[in-house]
Amino acid sequence: MTTAGLHRPAPGNVPAPAAGTRRDRAAAGWRLARLYLVSRRVPMALALLAGLGALLWAALHWHWNIAGGAAARQVIPLTIETGAAAVIAVTTYGPFGEPERAAGRWLPWLRLGAAVALTTVAFGALAAGAAAGAMPGGTLLLLRNLGGMVGIGLLSAAVLGGAFGWTGPMAYLLITEGALAHRSVTPWVWPTRPPHDRGGAICACLVIAAGLVLITVHGPRESGRESGPAS
Amino acid sequence: MNVEISDVTRRFGRTQAVAGVTLETGPGVFGLLGPNGAGKTTLLRMMATVIPSSSGRVRLLGRDPGGYGPRREIRRRLGYLPQNLGYYPGFTVAEFVEYFALLKEMPPGRVPQAVATAIERVDLGGRARAKLRTLSGGMLRRAGIAQAIVNEPELLLLDEPTAGLDPEQRVAFRALLRDLGERASVIVSTHLVEDIGAACSKVALMDAGKIVFQGTPDELTARGEGTGAAGDAPLERGYSAVLAAARSATAAA
Amino acid sequence: MTAATAPVRHRTPRAASAVPLNAARLLRVELRRNAMPWILPLIAALFWFDSYRPSTGAAPLYGLRTFWNMGQGGTIIDFGPFVAGVAAWMGSRDGRRGLADLVTATARPRWAAQLATWAATAIWAVAAYLVFVGILFAIYARQGVGGTPPWWWVAAGATAVTAFSAAGFAVGAYWPSRFAAPVATFGGFLAMMLSSQTGFRHNTGWALILPTNSNGNFDSQDSGIFFPWLPDLPIARIIFLAGIAVAALGLTGLPARAGGQWLRRAAAVLTLAGVALAGTAVGLASTARLSAHGMVIPALHDAANDAPITYTPACGHAAGVPVCLNPAYRRWLPDMTAALTPVLAEVVGLPGTPARAGQVAAAYTSSDGGPPQAITLGGHPTALRVSLGMLDMPGPCGFCDGPVATKQFVDQIRLAFAHAFVGAGNGGGSPVQQAVQAALLRGAGIPFAAQPKLVATAKNVPGPAPGPAAGPVYAAARRLATLPAVAQHAWLAVHLAALRAGRLTLKELP
Repeated sequence: MTTAGLHRPAPGNVPAPAAGTRRDRAAAGWRLARLYLVSRRVPMALALLAGLGALLWAALHWHWNIAGGAAARQVIPLTIETGAAAVIAVTTYGPFGEPERAAGRWLPWLRLGAAVALTTVAFGALAAGAAAGAMPGGTLLLLRNLGGMVGIGLLSAAVLGGAFGWTGPMAYLLITEGALAHRSVTPWVWPTRPPHDRGGAICACLVIAAGLVLITVHGPRESGRESGPAS
Repeated sequence: MNVEISDVTRRFGRTQAVAGVTLETGPGVFGLLGPNGAGKTTLLRMMATVIPSSSGRVRLLGRDPGGYGPRREIRRRLGYLPQNLGYYPGFTVAEFVEYFALLKEMPPGRVPQAVATAIERVDLGGRARAKLRTLSGGMLRRAGIAQAIVNEPELLLLDEPTAGLDPEQRVAFRALLRDLGERASVIVSTHLVEDIGAACSKVALMDAGKIVFQGTPDELTARGEGTGAAGDAPLERGYSAVLAAARSATAAA
Repeated sequence: MTAATAPVRHRTPRAASAVPLNAARLLRVELRRNAMPWILPLIAALFWFDSYRPSTGAAPLYGLRTFWNMGQGGTIIDFGPFVAGVAAWMGSRDGRRGLADLVTATARPRWAAQLATWAATAIWAVAAYLVFVGILFAIYARQGVGGTPPWWWVAAGATAVTAFSAAGFAVGAYWPSRFAAPVATFGGFLAMMLSSQTGFRHNTGWALILPTNSNGNFDSQDSGIFFPWLPDLPIARIIFLAGIAVAALGLTGLPARAGGQWLRRAAAVLTLAGVALAGTAVGLASTARLSAHGMVIPALHDAANDAPITYTPACGHAAGVPVCLNPAYRRWLPDMTAALTPVLAEVVGLPGTPARAGQVAAAYTSSDGGPPQAITLGGHPTALRVSLGMLDMPGPCGFCDGPVATKQFVDQIRLAFAHAFVGAGNGGGSPVQQAVQAALLRGAGIPFAAQPKLVATAKNVPGPAPGPAAGPVYAAARRLATLPAVAQHAWLAVHLAALRAGRLTLKELP
């Protein structure tokens, strides 16, 4: 190794960044997004969301023991929606720690984009599964319930860490199940409210908005430095 | 001889990581040098009985690791520090070392003292109750060394043991290696030639899965004299000269 | 001697006692650093919300208080899925932390190390379950809940928690991914929801083995009060859940890294044994039949459990007639005596008037096909038999439409007594019987206008649809009620037998 041929700028000058074309910048952006998504195991998350959509289709198509009144019929689809929210919450976990946080300005946007994109994909997958018919409450209910659950998952990830973001939606599912059984109607347990209910929609929107803001600005909580490979 | 390896190969798919290595060593400190991807870690993993060889003969501590019983006996007498040391962040240093002492089936009466001794030997006595997640990189490496030596192994395998250690700690570690080498076979895989020169009585140089040199550090140094090979120290020049010769021989073949 | 020629050292063999001591030490390290305690506060909050709080809306009897949290597996749902998730986290620990190689290179088989990790996880989970349920029952005891706790169902719940921990651990061991924990938790919830839903549709057969199938669990409100809780079905479920746990743990011993050949063969045998155990339990459950005191599985049934519980009754008096209740119902003795006093006072001295009143176990079938009655008369001397287990007692009543007012209960008791006294039996009774019943109720303080609704809403007392208290029956009842008490008493003394035999017509009423 020698230093021959190395161009040095005049003292005091900082060389200007190479001017890239718009296409170069777009390609770099796509590449960054792709690497970010891979580091968050989003391909596996997509596969799981597709699986949940298939599961919903099977549950509706074969009437999986969905017995009882309107509330009881909601329980299994709600469980599947919760599973989707838990998967999205867990994708917020990042393996890189401080070097990533210190690297630049794109990380919050990547977090926001990933969360929104995954929620959209989850809605699509579950809506496709609901096409099997007789989804309690229809797609409007699905959108509200899923969105609210994702919000809870993002909030849990922000507080507990990405790897434990699943605990929030699962706990909320249990609360919802109890509320459905005991005919509680508070809008903060929006799955108990009718599809076009304004209060339930407002509460679900507030929760997902709070979750998106927190995960974008703050990111998932990181519990101390961890070394070794993390899956 | 504690280690007897004869014409051993190891394949991963189409990649031959180790290609016909023959090696014998008894008590003492044996260095394993080589560039990245030379097959050092794979060889070490085979000696640690983590993976079997694809072909060839391996005997460790007088036993064939292919059989379950002999392999278990080998592992009781084995200490292993991998290159990438994982750990449980919530464990304390003492718990981490104790955990591996127990997994190595040490006599229970000896475990507490052995754990304390191992932690002291790596100069972490003051941090025995600290959680691993609070330690610096060098301290974590020393905790890894402690778990490797807790059972006073007869065969100690260390992969990049001084990564993250400061110069003072490296000096102390080399002294520890020499001390351990009086009773056990210590095999150190590294690409820091100064570690080899300071602690090892014998060294092997690997490249592309093969051993291209075996001898003493002085012999390796001698190979670099008068060749004009690159390096800031005699041992480095010997290292470069041997590698260059091995690669040109391969290219000519 | 040089380092190269020094002989290899030999070691003395280890003592046999070293193995359990080392295993105990390993377990201690794992217990101290397990992730399960971190989820317990969340589970505690959910337990309070989902298992304790709803139960306070039920009457203070164990069979009713524990209908949701034990009978329908509420406590299992609170614990199981979260335990599965954390167990998956622990099972995936070596893979996630990059320690698989290092642990494999130790003498102890990797499966043994994994089992230690699982055991610590399961111990935390089951201990927490037992503590939470213990606190729940302690609160019930302090609230004076009557009867005995359903201990067998507690054992079934603890076994369910163990099964969830094993299944979750196996998921994590095979899939050391960040998604293992949420997938295991989701799977646990889905399994429990499907179990409940299946239970709504299948109240017999194999489906009874499902942990949250409520059929047959708590049908008999007298379980733990008059008769012991039948252990047949909980034992079958324990066998089933234990089989699942054993099979899941066996699965973790199958991979090549788990250990030597013989150990992996043992793991395979364990897996098959677990599956066989679970299958046997399903077979047992399919033979279950509902008896008067709960679910009976012939192969598991112990006849000793059919013997009634001995007790010292709580007694009072109503119009001079002793009234005795099971001590579990002690708190309602004043309501019972208050209910019976006016109706007994109207009929005291008449032939067939009960010499005493006592609570008996509820009967869920009647001999002549009609609905069983909460109050019957019979025996020599005539005794009033009261099956309070068939009624909603005053106070909260769980899933009924609001708490039962004391007046509501009292009126229902008076109606049931009058219905039995006139000999109406399981049916609505003849018009004369209905008229005499109405007159007796009027004499006990229930206006005619309120009686149609009372009859319509009473449990198991057939009668006409609610409407105005009009028509020939109520006209005859008004005539009878306007008689002086002495005249009414005298008429009944003469005509009671014919009244009960159904041989009278309305015209024969005074």
